[in-house]
Formats: sequence, C-alpha cells, structure tokens
Amino acid sequence: MSLVRLVSRTKLYWGLIAIFLIGVLSSPVTSSGKNIFLSSGNLLDVLRQVSTTGLIATGMTAVILTAGIDLSVGSLMAICSVVCAMLLTVPGETPAVFLGLPSVSAASLLIGAVIVRFAFLNIEKVRAGKDSIRDIHLDSMRGLVLPAVAGILLCALVLSYLLPQVQTKFGVLGVLLVAPAVGLVFGAINGMIIVFGRLQPFIVTLAMMVTALGIARLTAGQNNAVLPVYTGSNATADFDILRQLVFGVVPMPGIFFIVAIILYGAVLRFTPFGRYVYAIGGNEEAARLSGINAGRVKIVTYAVSGLLAGLAAVLYVAQYRQGKPDAGAGLELDAIAAVVIGGTSLMGGRGGLAGTFCGVLIFGLLSNILQLHNINSNLQLVLKGLIIIGTVLVQERSTGDLFSRLWHSRHQPEVKGSAAEERSSPETVSLTMGGKKE
Amino acid sequence: MKRRELMLAAFAAVLTATTALMPANDAAAQDKKWRIGFSQATTIEPWRAQFNKDIIAEAAKHPDVELIITDGEDKTEKQVADVENLIRQEVDALLISPKESAGLTGVVQQAIDAKIPVFVLDRNVETDQYTQFVGGDNKLIGRAAGEYAVEVLGGKGKAQGNVVEIWGGMGTQPAHDRHDGFHEFTDKEPGIKNLLDQQSGDWKQDQAYNIMATALRNNEKIDLVYGHNDPMAYGAYLAAKDAGREKEIKFIGIDALPAEGVMWVNNGELTATFLYATPGAEGLRQAIKFLNGEKVEKTITLDTLMVTKDNAAQIMKDNGL
Repeated sequence: MSLVRLVSRTKLYWGLIAIFLIGVLSSPVTSSGKNIFLSSGNLLDVLRQVSTTGLIATGMTAVILTAGIDLSVGSLMAICSVVCAMLLTVPGETPAVFLGLPSVSAASLLIGAVIVRFAFLNIEKVRAGKDSIRDIHLDSMRGLVLPAVAGILLCALVLSYLLPQVQTKFGVLGVLLVAPAVGLVFGAINGMIIVFGRLQPFIVTLAMMVTALGIARLTAGQNNAVLPVYTGSNATADFDILRQLVFGVVPMPGIFFIVAIILYGAVLRFTPFGRYVYAIGGNEEAARLSGINAGRVKIVTYAVSGLLAGLAAVLYVAQYRQGKPDAGAGLELDAIAAVVIGGTSLMGGRGGLAGTFCGVLIFGLLSNILQLHNINSNLQLVLKGLIIIGTVLVQERSTGDLFSRLWHSRHQPEVKGSAAEERSSPETVSLTMGGKKE
Repeated sequence: MKRRELMLAAFAAVLTATTALMPANDAAAQDKKWRIGFSQATTIEPWRAQFNKDIIAEAAKHPDVELIITDGEDKTEKQVADVENLIRQEVDALLISPKESAGLTGVVQQAIDAKIPVFVLDRNVETDQYTQFVGGDNKLIGRAAGEYAVEVLGGKGKAQGNVVEIWGGMGTQPAHDRHDGFHEFTDKEPGIKNLLDQQSGDWKQDQAYNIMATALRNNEKIDLVYGHNDPMAYGAYLAAKDAGREKEIKFIGIDALPAEGVMWVNNGELTATFLYATPGAEGLRQAIKFLNGEKVEKTITLDTLMVTKDNAAQIMKDNGL
C-alpha cells in the first residue's frame, strides 16, 4: 500500500524522468565521445530557453488553481517587451514613446473609471436591500477599489512622465522595475474586471489579449513593428548582466525562473493566501462563506501573472535584443500546456508549482532532444504533440491504473453479474459493455 | 437605470476618444485625378512597413494621385474585404500585395471583371488576367547568396566549409526559392557540408537564436550561416556571440532593409545581405504610367543588390540613417 502511495505521489516526475532518459540514451555524441545532451552547457541552454515560458507558467498556475485562466499573458509580454526595448534604445530613435505611453495611460484610466462605476453601483444595490451574499461581499470590497484605482493612476502617471528619464537615470534596475509594473497593472485590470464585472475569466482575458496586442502595436508605432535594441549603446551594455552566466555556469534567466518558482511556490504552500487560492479553486462559494475575500485573492493572482509576464519580457529583450508587438504570441498556450502536463487541474484547486516546474522542463527537454537530432521542423511539431499526449496519459493515471483499465476492458465480460461489476464506476461499465459487443 | 446611463456615457467616451485618435481624412484629396487603391497584406513585418514607406514616398512625388492604403492585418478574409471595399469605391487602379495566392484570386478576378486595372505586387495570384505583376525573384536572390557563399568559402571548385541554413516558414514559397537558388551553387561543391536538415526559424530572430545555440553545441566547426532573412541571420549571430564564436563564422542574410540588415552589415555583424526590393515604388510608377495611356509589360522582375561593408554606409546615408 505504501509503495502505491509513493508511486502516486511521485507520478508527477515520471514523465520528466522518462523524457530525460530518452534524451540521455538517444543523444548524439561528439567526436571525442562526449554525450551532447548531458553536457552541462546543453542542459543549461534548456533552462535558459524555457525560462520565458516558465515564468509565465508560474503565474498561470496560481490563476488556474483558482479555476480561472489567463489568456492575455502573451500580449502583456508583448507590451512589456516594447516598453522595455524603448527604454533601452538610444534616445531620439523612439518618437513612438510619445504616442504609445499616453495611449497606455489613457486606456488604464478609462478602464479604471468604468470599474469604479460598476463597483459603487453594486454597493448601492446592497444598500437598497438586495442583499445576496455576493452583493454584501462586493460591499466589503469597497476598501480595495480606491487604492486599486489610485494605483492604476499612479502607474499611468509614472509611465508617461518618468519613462523617458528612466533609460538614462536608472539603467537596468529601472527597466526591471518598470516593465513588470506595466504587466502588474494590466494583470490587476484583468482581475478587477473579472471580479467586479462578474465575468468569465476566459472572456475577460481573451478581450485583454486583443486589447493589449493593439496597445503594444500602438506603442511600438506602426512603422517600428520590431524595436531592435542596438548593440553598442550604453543601456544595452549594462543590460548584458541579464543574459550572462552566474558563476560562469547558470544562465541569468534560469535563475529568475527558479527563484520565481520557489518564492511563489512557498507563498502558495505556506501562507494563508496560498490556502485561499486552493480553497477558491475547490469551491468558491464555500470559500466565500467561510470568510475568505475571494475577489481580492483572485485579483492578486491575475496581477502576479501580469507581473511575471513583464519580467519574462525583460529577459526576452535582454536575450534576443529586440522588443516587438508579437513577442509572446502563442505563449499562453505553451504555458497552459506546461501547467496541465504538470498535473494542475483546469477545474482548479488541485496541483501546484512543483508540477509546473516539471511540465515546463518536459516541454523544454523535448524541444531540445528533437533539435539535437536535427529533426525536420514540421516533423518536430507532430512528434511534440504526440509526446505531450503520451506524457499526460502516463501522469494523469498512474501506470498501474492504465494497465488495469486495459485488463478490465478485455477480461471483465467473463465475470458477469459479479459484485465487482456492480461496484465499478459508470466509465468501467461502459468499457465492459463495449467489450461484450465484440 | 442609472447604471445604464453611466455605461452609455462610458461607451460614448470611448467612441469619442477613438474618433479623436484617428487621423483626419484630407478633404483636399477629393479633386485629384487618379484614385489608386493599394491593398497591403499586413504591416506588422518590417519589410511590409518599408514597402508602405516606399509606396507613400512615391505617391508624394505625384500630385495628381490619391493613394488609399488598406491593411489586411495578415488575414485573408480581411484582405478580401479590403479589396471588395476598394472595388466599391471605384478606384481607378488596384494595387494588391496578396497574403496568399488562392484565397485572393477570386476577389482579384472580381476587380478585373469590374474593369479595374490590377497590379499584383510581390506574391502572385492564380489568374493571368491582371494588368501587371511586379516583384522580386527569390530564386535569383538565393542564387546571388549561393554564389557569394561559394566565393567566401574558397572559390569555385575549392570551397570548403560547414554551412548552417536557417529556413523561413517551411510552407512558404519564398523560403523554398531562397533555399533552391542558394543550393544551385553550394551543392556543386563537394567541400561544402550542410549541417542542418530543414530547420525553420519562421523568419524570427528569437527562434533562429535558439536553433543556432543548439547547432553550436552540436557542431564544433561552423563556417557559414545562411539565414533566409536578416533577422534570423542576426539572431544566429547573437547566439554565436553569446557563445564567443562569432569571429570564426560568416553570416549571410537576405532583405537588406536599411534599419536592419544594412545596419548590421555596416556594424560588421553580418558579412553580407542581399536586397529583396519592395515593389512599392515601381508598382505605383507602373500604374500611373498605365493610367496615363502608356503600355506596360506583363511582368517586371526587380533586381537584387549585394550589400557588403563596402556599400552599406552609403545605403544607410541614402535612407537618412
């Protein structure tokens, strides 16, 4: 029994171990007989390559744990990458700063204003006597609305007035503060619309995905679709630190990813906030009735998701020396896939960051193996899809379970009317009936 | 009640803000002689942005022309709607740079049936009833790149070296043409070894960076990188630079946009790039020629130009950089 429990508790890692073994066994070797896959340089390359998706999947995990979803992260990363590239580009080459940032601020202002209206109107309804649990809950939110809106205003102001100076005065630190702050603001807007507007996270973040893409393009300016960060300017030289190897081995983006996983993992595991996240994902109404301020918790998870997208954008720009409005395109799907491979349920309440870490690595190792084998790009896509399905199958059910199902579907018809069949789940019954017809 | 009013007010505010942001339409444009519509496939790529810049600059030289540019936003259905709209506006000539051939053939035929002269730019459509096709020849450019690669690797018959080729999209004709042209020259050299089997960077700098990072890990000796466009060649350069091996490798790209490829060549980061000229200026010139009653050829192929350290500075200067 204890062995079964051990297997089921660690089944998360089976996929990772399997992929890793495949990598080691099949790796090409250098002329001197060294295993290329296992060389530290290659594995650290993988860590660097996954760090962008990884940061985004980290934020996404908490959102999914609350039974939500964040489709806007790719676009948020795009906005942040554009802002970041602007900060790093030589002054005089970015007239778009003056077009884009006011538009960002204006959008935040407008959305903030609408949110305030919604929130206060709902509170008035409560006063008028329509006091369902939800409305009373919204009343308790009053304390949150004004600070949040003030925060949006403040960020917008900081952006439009301080940004041109940041690039010369604050350097890398300034960029590392500003770009994630932009992400945080947009993430918080997502959360507030979901909570105060009582809308589906899917719809809200889908809308934000489109809106943010537009803002990113506006900010970049139509003729500057890609903002190259020119090598040689002072700002980019300082920026080298973000793509260097720490202690000469570990790539900096990887450090950011691992630290984010550990910090957020600890928060989710050991703090009341973390427990609320799981509680809300399990049963939101129950969580609310037991006194958890569900709205506030949800807003924080979306804000952190945006923040991490912003951080990912900074690292992206540092690595590839460019910011562009389609920087994170499709990344939200990669991140969601990594979270799901890592065993977090899309229904919320079950899973965690350790799994996401595995999921992200499985993804990264997979691409790396296919690339090392120099497999044709189109074939890579097919193989990736198949292997993802395979990995999830192995992880979702423990391997033993999978075999017992196969066994049941073949042999169950023999034991007609036995107690075993009466107790079996509807799913098994349908399987056995399928067997009977054969 | 109150809530509805407020929402209406907010909606109105958004509308007003949007309208105020839109550029005012120039009423003075009404009395121009020729109204020419141009349906662009997308503007999000730098090359397309340069394309638009070129055609706008050319239009500015002709006071009797009013140019209407639409943006297909990289979606076939949007571009079809754009062209339908231009037909309804009864433009005097239609310039179109299709996103893809098959999906836009129908609407181009519609324009031809409406007696509008159609000038197809850059990518072709599946009919030959249009007035003229203007475009670059990717195969020709690939050949120029291949010839140059053989030359820098030791010359005809003696070329030696390991070559990394980074493809654009695998399903796109330009990528195949750029590949075929290049290999017409390099395949004749027994000393040249191709290290990768069809690796696609999807025209993107970041994807090419990652392909190159793995290739560097996998191969101890790389002599030349051929990127199907400049951003991918540059991405490969950055990966080599981060690995400290950029000095031993030559990087060749295609497109030669002034603010990208040409600048990188001028900085010594890329070895050479080959111009894939936008048909913007030439296309508009031809259309005006036709409208003024002159005869035009059925097909115009734009020439390429090799950009190396020798001429890069001059090209940048000519483009105001």
